[in-house]
Amino acid sequence: MTKNLKYGLILLSICAVCAFALALTNSITAPVIRMQDEVNQKKALEAVSNGWTIGTRSEVTDQAYVTYTIDLLDNSSVAGYVVGLSTPGYGGQMTLVASYTNSGEMLFAQLLTHNETPGLGKKAEQEGYMDKFKGSGTEKAVPTSKSMLSDADAQAVSGSSVTFTAIAKAIAAGSEYVKNLGGAR
Amino acid sequence: MKANIKELTKGIFKENPVFVIVLGLCPVLGVSTQVSNAIGMSAGVMFVLLFSNIIISALRKVIPGSIHIPAYIVVIASLVTITEMVMHAFVPSVYSALGVYLPLIVVNCIILGRAEAFASKNSVFDSILDAIGMSIGFALGLTLIALIRELFGSGTITLFPMGNFGGGINIPWFYDNPIRVMALAPGALLIMGYLKAFFDWNTSRKKDK
Repeated sequence: MTKNLKYGLILLSICAVCAFALALTNSITAPVIRMQDEVNQKKALEAVSNGWTIGTRSEVTDQAYVTYTIDLLDNSSVAGYVVGLSTPGYGGQMTLVASYTNSGEMLFAQLLTHNETPGLGKKAEQEGYMDKFKGSGTEKAVPTSKSMLSDADAQAVSGSSVTFTAIAKAIAAGSEYVKNLGGAR
Repeated sequence: MKANIKELTKGIFKENPVFVIVLGLCPVLGVSTQVSNAIGMSAGVMFVLLFSNIIISALRKVIPGSIHIPAYIVVIASLVTITEMVMHAFVPSVYSALGVYLPLIVVNCIILGRAEAFASKNSVFDSILDAIGMSIGFALGLTLIALIRELFGSGTITLFPMGNFGGGINIPWFYDNPIRVMALAPGALLIMGYLKAFFDWNTSRKKDK
């Protein structure tokens, strides 16, 4: 009994010191990380806004992929939307932002956070990866399988089909959501 | 002095963690798709191995044998989490490049293996030498596999971007004629097998002499 208590106290002491070290590190790093996230989010919004004015944000809670929308204003009328998307990738949940016209045509998209495999799914954050979805959503369907891509694009997503499909489904869902809004707000 | 040098260098060739002791193969096979990933992973492992060896060696007389595994895991997991938070805040590009492999250092057998086999039985100074030697051995093994895989599989060598240098080097001929399987999981196993065979042959040849 005394021996078990002693072992418990030793483990408790080690855990307490580790918890203190982690709390201290977190108190230093958390504000820096939060600031970086805000800057990245702002940069991403500006990158996908198509030069239009970024308007008000509305949270969306009843959709599978869509988490929020932001109006894009052209001379104070709604010209399109930025849609915040969340989709399950190979390494866990991924978040991205995509902009659409009122008719649901995708303009630009950018990956925000993910845990995809370096060298494979992680390629989705590279410049140009989202180009394969540009202009899709209306007359041209969003490519949700590799067979809908050109040979070069299919080669580029080789080895990371889960990531590609997850992003494609989210972009397609965003397009559908915007079509239903139809510039109504 | 000679014993210290031996302690430091044993991890590089004689007891190389990747090719001889065959530890930590999950991250080795998973992360070796690009040279930059291998370098980043090696840096993370070096930091965690060094500090876990120091802490565990310093506490070796305090931690009883029957609770040593949970105690080591708490120390290692805390060090990995600290590394992750610091990298996320201050070197976000490296943090982003390593992705899911950074938290996986917790389950890297080299860290727990060296804590169990060496740091728990030796002085802090010897444990530091062991950690440095093993880290260098791990870095060499991982980088060598990544270099071969990336060269044959993609025809490129990817390093970290610096100034005007974008980070990627395209190797003529290999870039136009990549052997795709090398970039995929079977390629990692193939390269690992050939390199392990080479190390075994080299060791047996030395013994015969």
